[in-house]
Amino acid sequence: MTGIIEKTGASAIYITKSLFDTLYFAVKIILKIFDRKTYNSATISVLINQIYYTSVEILPFFICVSVILGTLIMGVVFQAIKNLGLDQYLGNVLIGFVITELSPFVTVMLIALRSSSAINTEIAVMKVNKEIHTLKVFHIDEIDYLFLPRIANGMISLVLLNGLFSIVLLTSGFLFSNIIFGMDMNTYSNLLADSVYFSDMAILFLKCMTFGFFVTLIPVMYGRRASYQLTSIPVSVLQGMIRVFLAIVIIEVLSLIARSI
Amino acid sequence: MRDRRNTGLVSSEAPLISNLNIWENVALIKQYHQNMPENQAKKLALRHLERLGLENIADIRDPDLKEKEVFCGMLLRAAMVVDAVILIDRPFKLLPTVMDSTFIYNTLKKIDDLYKQCYIFDYIWNKNKYGTDYAEKG
Repeated sequence: MTGIIEKTGASAIYITKSLFDTLYFAVKIILKIFDRKTYNSATISVLINQIYYTSVEILPFFICVSVILGTLIMGVVFQAIKNLGLDQYLGNVLIGFVITELSPFVTVMLIALRSSSAINTEIAVMKVNKEIHTLKVFHIDEIDYLFLPRIANGMISLVLLNGLFSIVLLTSGFLFSNIIFGMDMNTYSNLLADSVYFSDMAILFLKCMTFGFFVTLIPVMYGRRASYQLTSIPVSVLQGMIRVFLAIVIIEVLSLIARSI
Repeated sequence: MRDRRNTGLVSSEAPLISNLNIWENVALIKQYHQNMPENQAKKLALRHLERLGLENIADIRDPDLKEKEVFCGMLLRAAMVVDAVILIDRPFKLLPTVMDSTFIYNTLKKIDDLYKQCYIFDYIWNKNKYGTDYAEKG
């Protein structure tokens, strides 16, 4: 019995400490984001490169996935709406579920699978190779030069790719509404316009920014925790990616709570 | 050597950044510390690489470089620090196939306008590799 209590206590302390560390690091990064001294030619070059790797290089793959997944999702959603006789809620379902919930979720999953794991590995390899030590030797702040551009890129890329995914979803939504309900473009756009609320869009924007922030912050944090041994790289990636998926779930739940208030 | 900010370290403990090519490694110091625009820093780095005959490998990254090229890259990066005091730590660890210090001194001579002083630290048993003429510089 004592053993169970001890284990529970140790787990609780570990989780609390881990959460506190993440939040402390997040605050540090947020303060740096708003500090003008952070930005120089080197950090801007890294930011531009990161945006290219995350948002531009992924485009062909992302568009293909968006079209396939978007068509599939919209087909299922429209068929369900028709079968349940919920035609009058079409706009609400499209905006309230597909655009504000499904689209950021799919986008963040794609970014997490592709970029978060890459960032985590990159930072861990740099730590093992003593490249992070090199930065310290040359008085280059690792947060300014390495971490902040990656995190800012995460936020920017997620908002942009989510926008693209939403456009693809709405386009396939128009096709299905035309095929299933015989709806023209004018009726479809009016339906969407009537269902859009500023608060929902604000929460969507904030959610994308938060997703982008944490799916890059956590890999950076765990990559930095790697030791100087090669074997620590897979361990840090594993731990980082588990936390990334936990963070996605937590943010998703918090956004649902925010929308219901 | 009181002000550590002007120390440019050349050491196996401070490797080149592997996701940057050689000119980017050299330009990084100017871009970060002096906010030099990327194009200008690139031109400067290429000009210095040219002095060492390395302009043809400017776009190559550390894992694909030979030991002498890595050493030159590290040396140039160290020389990019303002009022650089270059500190070379156990150079033969970076240049294991080089027999003596001729290559090191020749390279240093080619860029001697880029640094104020240079110190080489090595094990006492490597003393023979340096010769008496080069006991101290700066």
